[in-house]
Amino acid sequence: MTESQTEQTPIQQVQTEGKALEQAFERFVRFSDPAAVAELDLETTIALQRELAEVRTSRLGKKSAWATKKKLIGRVAPSERPVVGQLVQEIEDKILTMADTIELNLKAHIDQERTARESIDVTLPGRRPAYGHRHPITIVRERIEDIFVALGYVIEDGREIETDFYNFTALNIPDNHPARGEADTFYTTDGFALRSQTSTVQIHAMQRRGVPIRMIAPGRVFRRDTPDPTHNPMFFQVEGLCVDRGITMAHLKGTVTEMLRRMFGADIVTRFRPSYFPFTEPSAEFDFSCFKCKGAGCRICKNSGWIELGGSGMVHPNVLRTVGVDPQVYSGFAFGFGIDRMCALMYELDDIRLLFENDVRFLEQFE
Amino acid sequence: MFISYNWLKEITPSQLSPQELREHLTMVGLAIDAVEHHDHDAVLDVEVPSNRPDCLSHVGIAREVAVIERKQVNLPPIGAFKTEGRAADLTSVEIKDVDLCPRYAARLVRGVKIGPSPEWLAKRLETIGQRPINNVADITNYVLHELGQPLHAFDFHKLAGPKIVVRRAAAGEKLKTLDGVERVLTSDMLVIADADRPVALAGIMGGEDSEISTATTDVLIESAYFDPNSVRRTARQLGMDTEASRRFERGADRDGVLRAQERCVQLICELAGGVATDWLDVYPQPFVSRTVKFRPQRVPELTSVSVAPAEIVRIVAGLGFELVNETAEKLHLKVPSWRVDVEQEEDLVEEVARHTGYDKIGSELPPATASGEYQPSEMKQRLLRRALNAFGFDEAISFSFTSKQTDDQPELKNPIIEEAAYMRATLLPGLLDSLRHNLNHGIRDVRLFEIGRVFAPASAGELPHEKLALGIVATGGAIEANKAQAERELDFFDVKGALETAVDWMSLNPLSFTPTAASHLRVGQSARIKLSDGTEIGTIGRLAETVAANYKFRYPIYVLELDLDALLSAPVRTVQYRSLPRYPSVVRDISLLVNRTIALDDLLNAVKEKQVADFRGVKLVGTFEGGNIPSSKRSVTLRLEYRSDDRTLRDEEVEERHAQLTSSLLDTFAAQQR
Repeated sequence: MTESQTEQTPIQQVQTEGKALEQAFERFVRFSDPAAVAELDLETTIALQRELAEVRTSRLGKKSAWATKKKLIGRVAPSERPVVGQLVQEIEDKILTMADTIELNLKAHIDQERTARESIDVTLPGRRPAYGHRHPITIVRERIEDIFVALGYVIEDGREIETDFYNFTALNIPDNHPARGEADTFYTTDGFALRSQTSTVQIHAMQRRGVPIRMIAPGRVFRRDTPDPTHNPMFFQVEGLCVDRGITMAHLKGTVTEMLRRMFGADIVTRFRPSYFPFTEPSAEFDFSCFKCKGAGCRICKNSGWIELGGSGMVHPNVLRTVGVDPQVYSGFAFGFGIDRMCALMYELDDIRLLFENDVRFLEQFE
Repeated sequence: MFISYNWLKEITPSQLSPQELREHLTMVGLAIDAVEHHDHDAVLDVEVPSNRPDCLSHVGIAREVAVIERKQVNLPPIGAFKTEGRAADLTSVEIKDVDLCPRYAARLVRGVKIGPSPEWLAKRLETIGQRPINNVADITNYVLHELGQPLHAFDFHKLAGPKIVVRRAAAGEKLKTLDGVERVLTSDMLVIADADRPVALAGIMGGEDSEISTATTDVLIESAYFDPNSVRRTARQLGMDTEASRRFERGADRDGVLRAQERCVQLICELAGGVATDWLDVYPQPFVSRTVKFRPQRVPELTSVSVAPAEIVRIVAGLGFELVNETAEKLHLKVPSWRVDVEQEEDLVEEVARHTGYDKIGSELPPATASGEYQPSEMKQRLLRRALNAFGFDEAISFSFTSKQTDDQPELKNPIIEEAAYMRATLLPGLLDSLRHNLNHGIRDVRLFEIGRVFAPASAGELPHEKLALGIVATGGAIEANKAQAERELDFFDVKGALETAVDWMSLNPLSFTPTAASHLRVGQSARIKLSDGTEIGTIGRLAETVAANYKFRYPIYVLELDLDALLSAPVRTVQYRSLPRYPSVVRDISLLVNRTIALDDLLNAVKEKQVADFRGVKLVGTFEGGNIPSSKRSVTLRLEYRSDDRTLRDEEVEERHAQLTSSLLDTFAAQQR
């Protein structure tokens, strides 16, 4: 303690120390204003926060000069005590209030800066391997299967290499029919045929399951077509068959129409035209109203408003007899169409050879 | 088949416009590809179904139009013409092969003057796309398009004999046909011959030697019926397709032979002059028309539409069926000779239905009687596809026929793509070709899989074996979605991991992988894939350099192929709940320095087999090679878990058990602890 201090009255001493305190905190004062804090960078703010805490400890802590002065209250005359006490309190309150405010400002700024610094770009890609894609043939096949399973059909499949009996004879295709020729159908050197339609599965399924039956058979078929934008020597077909008592062409029309509505939309209408297939009698080809232009005429429907899709008819009595079903008791309908053709329509494919080239740039365009 | 609108209206008085005809004919099964307008006429391009040869003529189409419009068909009238002399006095007809030619009629017209056709005839032929030649040839062509019966005119004086012999050709016999091509014949081809040599290819094309020329004065008109199969076979063998062959091979009208000839002869006399003889008609076994019983109630039974009996009779009568007998329940109908397609009742149902209109048939779903059902493996296959998709594999579909891959592949007798004459025995070559295709287009990161059948020959006379296979090929980087560059290169474990995940998704037991050597795989990076019961189902690995070199692949390619039928029929994993542990586990890591030849599976199995008390499981922490580790060795770190079901294990207990296992491993594998 200096000589001069001992000569000061307690009040003076307190006032002097109070001044010293204010001085110690002076460089922090401007940070009472949050706007001043906002200009600081994170590191400076953290340093300030630390310094403030240090100053607070050194100047206001138990071992500080101020703490020593506070003890004067006990030593002054009782009459002066309230005055000294009040003065001490005033000074301390002022300093503490200011320090608290600054500290809060600093802390808020630090939190804010930290959060900003740790923010992420939520538009960066999620962490995952590039996703692969189902083949469009699979996408369409699965949709068709789902529709027919919902309609109470079983899904069937048979062999891809077939005997003459299943590929032709059982389907009432006469011995001299051009489809049997080597120009149209592939044969192995052993004389077996690569199935030229999934109708073969009708026969296997009726032999195995008997009737009544409701089934569809999607699968690969082969015909000796030279590849071009609308032909491939291999393609995929769906064959449908429903045999029961009392089945009529109205059921055929209803079923095919229902499928097309589920595939292409509830506003689709169908058109059945008489045609000829050896395995059905009466026979019909079916068209549906263009899903794209709604019948107004466009590229997909070649301006006709109609899209030709497949063949159908009432199962030929000779076919039923072949599998031991009495055509006087049972009747049935069958239909068939190309999955590739449906793909070409749905995705507006202008060259179906792309389907089997497995170009990743093509495959990636599907689901 | 081109149909002239004006010509058609001469046969039936249609009141429909060409466009209306197009719509109506389409709806009775005769699709019209196009309507072309010529001056004062229109041409309909009719797509005639292969079972309706009778519609390959104006009269045939007119018959359909007449039924549509409830009108009559007026067959072209045959006017009077001069006849003189008997054909039998001038020539003879002998059929040696009645099986191939059931009927042959010949008639002469003498004193004709060959010249151009009158304008109306030439024009009419041109309208339907036929090139006029001379009056006699044009008349035969005209009658063919009018009535559907192919005819041929010979220059009578060029026939040796003069006579007609219908016989099979002698093997090697030659004939120069009208198109100037010399044909070498085989013994199953039917020819029309004179006394010496073939003068026409029966039902297909005449010979050049007996062709009508401006010098011709007497003509012999042939009208016949040839066996459809014989005509088809011969035409195919010789690569020929003519107006005549197209009709004969589908089936001509046996009973229309004479009428067509009469019509032709009449037109020749009228337009080229000349006098006709009578005719020679060799027809040893006249055709007997079929009679078909027809119960009208079959119409609603099959189509759901009831048609009044009178309307049924109107339709079938209009189409030429003759009502032989009628009862309350059924009609007996005689099938006209030109309707080669009608054999039974259902055929008549179609006749009635198509002329009633398919649009009159309602539309309803059949009553549901059973629940739907997927193929037994379909759901597993869907999971397999989606799991592989999730790992970045695109689904490929390749042709089932390929080049020769092994000595054991079913071979195609008639491939369409020269280098693809065998049924594939494996999916990999197709997938590798696809990989090549992508690399050629500058795409370096390719992951493909295919699910499809592969084939193997069975014993002689048996159908080849077919089974479903899964193939995978992968190359390039492990690409992440929406990122331009791969984080790292793909390797064996990417393919293995994708398959393992797929197997998990399919709820199957885990597969095992054992090192193997396979000729198409690189040594040291190849494995057999086995089901949990040990059945081997396929291989996985890096493509051998020798194979990769054939495809000019410069980067590592990883491939997998397995028997998918076997995988799909593996038993589904059963899940049974285990109670949760009540006491804590303790884990201890151990790092072993072992020979590189020791597989992780060997270590794991050894740990499990030791059956140390309270041992609960072991997992790989990691492997480390290189650094200060000798090149023949690697370090493997395992984490072992110990736990008791009835108390918390004390440290000493764990240490004791772990020491047991550790020393056993060190001994078994001559390992050092790191």
